[in-house]
Amino acid sequence: MNPRADRWLAYSMILPVVFAVLAFIVGPTYDVFTLSFTRFVMGQELGFGTLVNFRALFSDPLFMQVLVNTAIWILGGTFFCVLLGLAIGAYLAVDSPITTALRALILLPWILPDVVTAMAWKWMLHGQVGILGQSLSQIGLTDRPISFLGDPDLVMWTLVAVVIWRKMPLVALILCAAIRSVPQDQHEAGKIDGANVLQRFRFIVMPHIAFSLTAVTVISMIWITAEFTLPWVMTGGGPANASQIMATYIYQQSFQFFNWGVGAAMSVVNLVMLMAIVGLYLYIMRRSWASGAAP
Amino acid sequence: MSQSRPIYWTFMTLIGLLIAAYVLFPIFWLILAGFKPAEELTQLPIAFWPSEPTLAAYRDLFAPQTQAAQLLDWPTLISNSFIVAVSSTVIVVFFGTLAGYAFARLSFPGRDIILGGLLISRMFQGAALLLPTYRLMNAVGLQDSLVGLTLLYSAFGLPFATWIIASGLREIPFELEESAMMDGANRLQSMVIIVLPLATPALITAAMWHFVGAWSEFAFASILIESLDKKTVTIGLASFVDYFTLEFNRVGAAASLVALPILVIFFFGQRYFTRGLLQGAVKG
Repeated sequence: MNPRADRWLAYSMILPVVFAVLAFIVGPTYDVFTLSFTRFVMGQELGFGTLVNFRALFSDPLFMQVLVNTAIWILGGTFFCVLLGLAIGAYLAVDSPITTALRALILLPWILPDVVTAMAWKWMLHGQVGILGQSLSQIGLTDRPISFLGDPDLVMWTLVAVVIWRKMPLVALILCAAIRSVPQDQHEAGKIDGANVLQRFRFIVMPHIAFSLTAVTVISMIWITAEFTLPWVMTGGGPANASQIMATYIYQQSFQFFNWGVGAAMSVVNLVMLMAIVGLYLYIMRRSWASGAAP
Repeated sequence: MSQSRPIYWTFMTLIGLLIAAYVLFPIFWLILAGFKPAEELTQLPIAFWPSEPTLAAYRDLFAPQTQAAQLLDWPTLISNSFIVAVSSTVIVVFFGTLAGYAFARLSFPGRDIILGGLLISRMFQGAALLLPTYRLMNAVGLQDSLVGLTLLYSAFGLPFATWIIASGLREIPFELEESAMMDGANRLQSMVIIVLPLATPALITAAMWHFVGAWSEFAFASILIESLDKKTVTIGLASFVDYFTLEFNRVGAAASLVALPILVIFFFGQRYFTRGLLQGAVKG
């Protein structure tokens, strides 16, 4: 057990993983930054060191709409995901046979393939024969079935509702674990002091889970930012770009219009945003990261 | 929380049923559609249960002449997805174990920074990397190939697998290994004979997480694979978008098939999944 030999052994053992990440993540990240400053005509590179791609991107009339839609997608999705996750997590934290069963079952939406989830919801939300629209009109809430994915004013929020279904389970489980770790004697002390359930939640549970709540909020933001398949398969950015977000815009520009310059420029905008969120995450996690403990 | 018990428990049960319905209904309704005759799908008011449950949609999927197969051959799609998911799982578990052992057991300069960097790299695997990945795979001649897809998925899956395995190894007392090495075993022998058998749960967790991710991946497969005989199940399912209403029973059948391996792993590997989640999903 010679430390020097150990060191070389260690480096050779981690080499494949490090190489894979450098080749398939770090390299492409660098490449897309370079691409965004390269002039393209018909897929031909015509010189580096230009801002034409960014100018073309910012002057695209769609650009503002994509930003607004992405904001709804990420901020709306994260906010309601955490809110619903907190409510369900608080429910799951209670000890009973139902909650024990649900704690296992609730992960199902989390592990289903995105394409399957997209199809399931597309079917339920169908404008004519979808069970959701039909049920709402049958019980008299609407006079005819709503076209959730066909209405430009609704489509973005419909997608948000689906991504909440998809991502909420893990938020609920993490918060459930945090709530269950509140020491029992603090609950007892609160009861003796005459605090009701809501007051105990606000003044005993909330301070205890504040850190988990912050961490899970930022991590949901990263998950939802990375989500591409769900909106792409459900709407493809439509109708008439009403649900075009950064991810679908990148795909469309790069692989349907072969507009690599603009696709790369939007990828860079997306990466810079992602880096800001990851930076926030690292800042929040700066203490627990080093010790390797999950919140 | 013991006051007025019957009302309290009725209330709790109702909420529980509501959550269960919310989580399960979309999946249930999709699977049910796969067993309905085509004409019932466009019938109003909606018939909840199929009047005569039928396997017609599943048969159509596997009959190459029908329009439902639309040039895509489902047995080929399924075998492609299995090949890619299984081989990348093997790669990920093998190299993840090597790296995980180094991160958990050996000390070397930069260890924590490198592990942290690997985990953070996971957060960048999104749409922004589609275009450069397409260029990279074309440059090295791995576009439109299942080998290329396998390598890509392995690279994407390795950091998380390394993390899960390293966390699992840290729970195994070092003394066990130390005494083996005292008895004359070298590091490799002690790793294979003593440590790996004890780390099996962590290896299973890593393998299951990776298989699920690789089987479900759609975005990168859709840009890299062009030949019909190399497409995967997720591409096949997504291509039904254009045939939507008329053939939804076939979409339901196809989606159920795509979900099936995942559901099997989920129900039989429940405890490993939860283990992986509590250990590291929060790391991105």
